[in-house]
Amino acid sequence: MLTHGVRRLPDGGFRVRLATRERELLRSLPAQLRPVLSGEQQVGDSGQRLFPAAYDDLADEMEYRELVGDSLTQERLAALDRLSRSVAAGSTRRLLWTVDLDADSAAAWLSTVNDARLILGCTLGITQESAWESGPDPDNPTSVVIFWLGWLQEELVAALMGTLPDR
Amino acid sequence: MGAAPVIAPERISEPSEVDKRDRPWSVIVWNDPVTLMSYVVFVLRKLFNHDEATATKLMLQVHNEGRAVVASGPREKSEADVARLHAHGLQATLSQD
Repeated sequence: MLTHGVRRLPDGGFRVRLATRERELLRSLPAQLRPVLSGEQQVGDSGQRLFPAAYDDLADEMEYRELVGDSLTQERLAALDRLSRSVAAGSTRRLLWTVDLDADSAAAWLSTVNDARLILGCTLGITQESAWESGPDPDNPTSVVIFWLGWLQEELVAALMGTLPDR
Repeated sequence: MGAAPVIAPERISEPSEVDKRDRPWSVIVWNDPVTLMSYVVFVLRKLFNHDEATATKLMLQVHNEGRAVVASGPREKSEADVARLHAHGLQATLSQD
């Protein structure tokens, strides 16, 4: 019996079970995130949040940017595409959607969900941890989504934590 | 004045410049109000092979003090560590001690 959320399977994969409306929410993410992740669009200080500076020194920072090139962008877009493909798969029964992920796809989900929260955090202008204390604002869909993605990310982290060597 | 000093002050400072190049670089993770604490622990364990207790301690240091040094070493390695932290969405910088 699999409950709502993310579980690690004995074969090394992961099973995600969500309500169909939660799946629809995930389905809507790529179109929103892609322009921001690719740098075509900025939301608040999203550029700085997604691509932070490594150095205080400007010359060192320019060298760093040259070194990493667009690998950070490409990795993020690849993870987003992977999530997109798995959201299109799976099966639905009684308003519950289930999909199995391999380890790479689960890692891609975690990466994209984190990026999504960073971007939505910029949209909401979250600059203080106290912003979380009052819970989601039912009148603000972005607020509801960032809280829900927080739950999904906790589920993914808990499932993936079990794959790390226990040392 | 008699003879000029054999070693000018500029020369005395030279060895410390050499030392500076050899000094290790610190990889620093900075607090941010959106990233989940459990995710920071996960990333620190995954990237640096820290055990759970060490990763949790570092995460709490980031959370409570605003930053923590999570690794240190030669510049090239530290820069690669920062790039991997950035790829995982964490705010990270490197600086020389």
